[in-house]
Amino acid sequence: MLLQPYKGFFDGKGLGDTKKIFKERRNKMKKLKKRTRSMGIAFLFAFWLWPALGLAMDNGECLDCHNDEGLTREQGRGSLFVDAAQFHDSAHHGQGIMCIDCHADIAELNYDNDVPHAKNLAPVACSSCHEAEQDAFANSVHTQISSKGITMTCYACHDYHYATPLAAASVGQRDNNFCAKCHNPYQSHDWLPKKEEHFAFVECTVCHVPEVQRHIHLKFFDLVTNQFYKGEDILAILGLGSDQFMPMIDTDNDGTISRPEFEILELMLRQKNVHAIFHAELVAEMAPVAHQVMRGGAERNCEKCHTAESPYFEAVSIVLTKEDGGVDHHQVDRGVLKSYSLSHFYLYAGTRVKLLDMIGILLIGGAGCGVLGHLAIRIVTLRGRRQKKEKS
Amino acid sequence: MSKKLIYIHPAPVRVWHWIQAAGIVLLVLTGFQIRYAEMVGIMALKNAITLHNYVGFVVIANYFLWLIYYLGTGKIKIYFPDLRTFVPDAFRQAKYYGFGIFKGDPNPHVMTPDNKFNALQQKAYLGLMFLLLPAQMISGVFLWRVKGYADYVHYLGGIKIIDTIHVILFFFFAAFLIAHCYLATLGHTPLAHLKAMFTGYEEEH
Repeated sequence: MLLQPYKGFFDGKGLGDTKKIFKERRNKMKKLKKRTRSMGIAFLFAFWLWPALGLAMDNGECLDCHNDEGLTREQGRGSLFVDAAQFHDSAHHGQGIMCIDCHADIAELNYDNDVPHAKNLAPVACSSCHEAEQDAFANSVHTQISSKGITMTCYACHDYHYATPLAAASVGQRDNNFCAKCHNPYQSHDWLPKKEEHFAFVECTVCHVPEVQRHIHLKFFDLVTNQFYKGEDILAILGLGSDQFMPMIDTDNDGTISRPEFEILELMLRQKNVHAIFHAELVAEMAPVAHQVMRGGAERNCEKCHTAESPYFEAVSIVLTKEDGGVDHHQVDRGVLKSYSLSHFYLYAGTRVKLLDMIGILLIGGAGCGVLGHLAIRIVTLRGRRQKKEKS
Repeated sequence: MSKKLIYIHPAPVRVWHWIQAAGIVLLVLTGFQIRYAEMVGIMALKNAITLHNYVGFVVIANYFLWLIYYLGTGKIKIYFPDLRTFVPDAFRQAKYYGFGIFKGDPNPHVMTPDNKFNALQQKAYLGLMFLLLPAQMISGVFLWRVKGYADYVHYLGGIKIIDTIHVILFFFFAAFLIAHCYLATLGHTPLAHLKAMFTGYEEEH
């Protein structure tokens, strides 16, 4: 395991001397300030209603400087560039978080200075909002390694400005963007059979965070294009709004898509010429406890999953992303895992098709009964054969 | 009673047979453990999967031992029934197993080195060795490396379809084991065929 203390640009090292760049910015800002002032009482009234904007610092003002790809700190190490488009798609922006909500020590911008705010900003305190996550992380192996001189920050795993919602993310997206940054799972799972399959279908935290809730995600996957359908695409194909999906599919209104209802959904998609398969993955619920990765606490009991009534498969959901960036989880009867509707998902013992068991009973039982019956007749007729033999 | 010994099972066939026998028994046992992990307690699931994989490859290698021997010696023809006489031969053999054997009638099929299988055996082993066992081996290899053979698995309809083929054949082989062991007791003495499979010699009566 190789972990390095993350050298981010929010680590309190300061922004440095970027005089040349900021001279240009300062002039630009002065012009902008004048323009802002001239926008009149209506805007001022709006600012008065919104305390954050009342500081006359919205994200746009920050991005006026930070959208420059060449903006770096004095030492030339670490970009200070923020991609506005990517930030717009981030989870934080989706929640209406402003730059100064995290960079809380920026009280005002002074464009007379080379750098309009303090050069040395305080590290961002993620835990001021993510308190529960911080508590879980404090009990994790990633905090314990500080005794070895390794400091893990939030930024080591999570993007600075581009943290995206993960509720609908696939196992690959979840693991590759987090655990796989430092860990190569093939180097530490010698005991695990079928590594490649496990790593492809099971999120790391499912086994490595004993307390986390697990569920099966069902997503629509097109084998021809080798891509997942977006939830909004599926809804558009079905001609349904996100709030119309369940009323249309869950015809008995019990809040769960039963096996017959699931089959009707498949039929509806085929009628629309969509030949997607249901791709199933075992993922962890997006909850603060997912940060509590334990040393030596990983689940190694195969039978925990590989059993017909595994608690890991109690929750099965169709995951649909929406145009507004939200995610809907629609509960599905776990019985679909044992059906041919999910012909591309199977785990030993866990998703047995009952029909096959009945065929097995008939074949083995038939052979056994046939043998016993034949043997019984042989025993009963033994005397007759002996007499015939003696006569001959 | 005359006791003429005829050499029916050459050494390579006997070696192949007993490797196959041990392999199929182990595969069936570990197969039950894998499919019914919560009900069967022979061994841990992890060990069962590992053993199943290793034994599976031994059985695959053993299949090629069988194929090379029978193709190389030309004896492969004993697996192919004579179509001109197959139907009456099979009927006569079925009648013997279902009726004549209880009366003490002689077996209508006389075993010779060049014709050791009766019509029913030929039909059963032909399907077994040229269709069912290869299908089981191929589906087993796909299940061994689902990701590695993902394209083939998807093309054939998905892992659950491959699993269905493998599981139905698994049940078939489990049932076959029972029937095979019982049928092996139908020689002139209950242990005659078993003994011959060790020594290579059958007694002709």
